Amino acid sequence: MSVTDLTHAEVREILPAYVRDGSDSLTVRRHLAGCSECRSELARYEDLLGALATMGSVTAEPPPSLVASLRQIPHSAGTIEQVRTHLARNRRTYLSGAAVVAAGVAGAALLRTRRQTAPA
Amino acid sequence: MGRELISPELVDRCKAGDETAWRELVEATHREVYTLCLRILRDPDDAAEATQDAYLKAWKALGGFRGEAMFTTWLYRVAANTAISKHRTRARRRTHEIGIGDEVLGQIAASGSAETAATSRIEVAELERAIARLPEHYRTAVVLRDVYGLGIEEIAKQQRISATAAKVRVHRGRKKLKELVYPETTQEGE
Repeated sequence: MSVTDLTHAEVREILPAYVRDGSDSLTVRRHLAGCSECRSELARYEDLLGALATMGSVTAEPPPSLVASLRQIPHSAGTIEQVRTHLARNRRTYLSGAAVVAAGVAGAALLRTRRQTAPA
Repeated sequence: MGRELISPELVDRCKAGDETAWRELVEATHREVYTLCLRILRDPDDAAEATQDAYLKAWKALGGFRGEAMFTTWLYRVAANTAISKHRTRARRRTHEIGIGDEVLGQIAASGSAETAATSRIEVAELERAIARLPEHYRTAVVLRDVYGLGIEEIAKQQRISATAAKVRVHRGRKKLKELVYPETTQEGE
């Protein structure tokens, strides 16, 4: 083994990158030529990347309502933007409003509980 | 992802405001875009929202598309960017990671198993499950690089990290994925 030779562990560390971009790595190629175990490991990576590459065409079916809204984008783009801008600008106001409503509901519940538990 | 689903003529018609052309474009691409978002976000509602935002952005930015890359690659870039931003917002909102349900996995795996089985010995459902088990930053990097063919620079930009860090994420993600798919070949200490 010369000083430029790589160990199995070193080659296995390089393989995830070598499998796609490393065809000109002479030291790795030299190791692979004489090591069937590391060649098998490379084959596993090649298989894995081959499977990953085909997965782009493996798709999930989106909800029909989504497809309908995507088709409408030329009509609705302006409206959606207006609603989003309005919500973003008035976020604090809406959040304060929601907090007031929540406090009111909590207050009413507390009053009702006190009335129910108060001695007659 | 070598095959182009959209012709330059269709893109030009969309740019000119042709709504029929836009519907054709949506029809040809929405499943891929939704699935990309689903793979990054792992939640059907979030994926649907990200898909809608992505198409809205695409519609508004169509004029800037000059045809230097494939249209679908450009669209995937827009979708990935939107999904990653959404993931960041969601991570701030929720402290726990949402696990992908078997139902969602089955949804993705059901339609394309025949094609994948012909080219690889790895089952689609098994691979989807393994991808779902990757840590989020590795998962996104591997999905964008090896499923959707985005470049390292692009992934780095989208994840707001250096190109070296993006390369490391892809590298470690592939290694981890290989260990999950072939557990019997993983040596101790690896």
